[in-house]
Amino acid sequence: MKTRLLGFVALAGVVTVIAVALFVVPPDRNQGDAQRIMYPHVASAWLAYLSFGITALAGIGWLWKRDLRLDAVAHAAAEIGVMFTAFAIWGGMMWGRPIWGVFWQWGDPRLTTTALLLALYVGYLLLRRLTDDPERRATRAAIVGIVAAIDIPIVHFSVEWWRGLHQTATIASPDRVLDPAAPGVFVGTLLGTLAAFTLTWLYLMIRRYQLGRAQVAREEAVRLDRLMSARTAELAR
Amino acid sequence: MSTLSAEARIALAIARKDAVAELRGRHATVSTLFFAAVVLLLFGFALGPDAARLAEAAPGLLWLAVVFAGILAVNRLHLLETDDGALEQLALYPVPRRAIYAGKALAGFGVMLLLGLVVLGAVAVLFAVDIGGAWLPLLVTVVLGSAGVAAVGTFYAGVTVRLRAREVMLPLLMLPVLAPLLLGAVKATAAALAGDPFGELGAWLQLLVGFDVIMIIAGAATYGYLLEDG
Amino acid sequence: MPQTTIYVSPRSLGAPDTRPPAVATTDLARLFAGSPALAGVSLRVDGGRTVALLGPNGAGKTTLLRLLATAIRPSYGQASVDGLDLARDPALVRERVAYLSHATGLYDDLTGRENLRFAATMLRTPDPEARVERALADVGLGARAADRVRDFSAGMRKRLALGRILLGCASLVLLDEPYAALDREGMSLVDQLLVAWRGVGVTVIVASHSTERFESLLDGRVTLERGLVREASGTGVMSTPPSLPGGAALPVAEAAR
Repeated sequence: MKTRLLGFVALAGVVTVIAVALFVVPPDRNQGDAQRIMYPHVASAWLAYLSFGITALAGIGWLWKRDLRLDAVAHAAAEIGVMFTAFAIWGGMMWGRPIWGVFWQWGDPRLTTTALLLALYVGYLLLRRLTDDPERRATRAAIVGIVAAIDIPIVHFSVEWWRGLHQTATIASPDRVLDPAAPGVFVGTLLGTLAAFTLTWLYLMIRRYQLGRAQVAREEAVRLDRLMSARTAELAR
Repeated sequence: MSTLSAEARIALAIARKDAVAELRGRHATVSTLFFAAVVLLLFGFALGPDAARLAEAAPGLLWLAVVFAGILAVNRLHLLETDDGALEQLALYPVPRRAIYAGKALAGFGVMLLLGLVVLGAVAVLFAVDIGGAWLPLLVTVVLGSAGVAAVGTFYAGVTVRLRAREVMLPLLMLPVLAPLLLGAVKATAAALAGDPFGELGAWLQLLVGFDVIMIIAGAATYGYLLEDG
Repeated sequence: MPQTTIYVSPRSLGAPDTRPPAVATTDLARLFAGSPALAGVSLRVDGGRTVALLGPNGAGKTTLLRLLATAIRPSYGQASVDGLDLARDPALVRERVAYLSHATGLYDDLTGRENLRFAATMLRTPDPEARVERALADVGLGARAADRVRDFSAGMRKRLALGRILLGCASLVLLDEPYAALDREGMSLVDQLLVAWRGVGVTVIVASHSTERFESLLDGRVTLERGLVREASGTGVMSTPPSLPGGAALPVAEAAR
């Protein structure tokens, strides 16, 4: 099956990229080996944003088309997004400890934004759990997902301004790995990690969506069955 | 079908209805104000008694108290609609949904503004903060901050009004979204009190305005979907 | 006690032949938590008719009324009011439908008058103040209008809710057990309302346990049982059996009915 192939390719890609990041790429001049975790960290952060963008768009799709499969997409994207967000935070903290000496730095815009992201979408998932009716759940989740997505750029800008007023040493900035003037091997590894992680994300999304869609179909079948047996029973009287 | 002024009239009617019911009701607005005062007292206990430290923390404490009390306030305004199916009836009127949102958010803004001003006064007294010539920028900050809390709070109160575990879900959903507002309001307050030494007050107020506008539009656009529940 | 006429707002409804059916549903169904409250109702009610909706508790009467009022959305099937589709144009449907439910939708902390004034603004009633006073008088609450609804009895609240309906200009009025909790005067008020609505061509559907009281005003009756139409009779009322999977295949016994 195509998805299984995708899964293998993604796995192979991730293993390769991790090996490259750990052993092949030279350590950063200033940050040393700690910089290596930036590759998966940046990739995870990017995939988190992508996931939550999809959650919002799928939510809009549900409100427009009322197709529960779109809601299943939104749900899958949120779950996987939370996963990548948590990993990104963990990566950020692991990077921070050797570089800053502490696990958390309030002035760092990326870390604080990602933490808020986690809070927003854990809230989204909890909201989903608390509603039983599928359509009501989809509607509530959709609008919460949309507003959360709208909030993200605002959070980003506000934290950027916040950081801007409290200058920290730029050498110790995680942004270095995104600098296009950086040596080619850094950029290459980053792009490779992005590709491998995105393939993994895609694989997980497809699998999770299939699960969700199957559940939607099952519930629908139960409903139709109950409906039809009620009609048949009544007519037979 | 409906003009802007007709919608405004409807929103105002809803806001007025909320205000009248709230004022006559179980005196909840007063309780909310007292809650904010108690929160400030506890801050004093937790962070004091060093007056300099409290004065420095005052902007943050002010807005934390406002936001926490604000959760209670917006929750109450939506609880009004649980009177004998009032929310369902409200949803059945042939009025545009965004007017309903506007009305409830307006009522929320009224309560939040009152709350903000009272807390500002309390903070000035309790934490020895000299307002002096900064009263105008402080007033603007309180107005913009209250509007933001009302816009976001009204929306999420609508989401959670018929939800299980409402008491924890409302703050859980609302607070992360309010983070930029909190940041902007606190920074603007601090800048205003210090006489705006770095010229950053304008930037923070702009953030607040942007936040308010975006959130009001988002709330107005999506609130209607909550009313089709049934 | 002198009989004064109740003011019912006229709505240009057109000649009976040219009006679309007041209610037309096809396989209308609604499920709650997976189980069908309404399993498939195909019903037509012509404009201007007064119809009783009968059936035991749990038969789906309230669900049907709530669907027609657009308080809830259908799970399956299709329905239209005055030719307007419920799912496509709910806002337009809301303009022509008035619904009296078990819950009154009144605000406890507001007075009777304030509740109606608010409703008049929401309904965009022309000349609101005068209409509110007239409605209060018509439902017999003129004397208690300045009291808070919190202090009203159940019967008074129902009257106020009926007064709210008088402020609108609905062409379809849905009443869910209007006689419940009313005293003799209250019940007589409902009778008068039914007559008044009939007089201006408003379609009325009354869900009730028994029709004794308003037998003479009825054009038709629909009986629901377990979410389906058991029986539909009278003028201006028609029902067809719900469709089954596979289309037209009906049990032989059914075809003979």
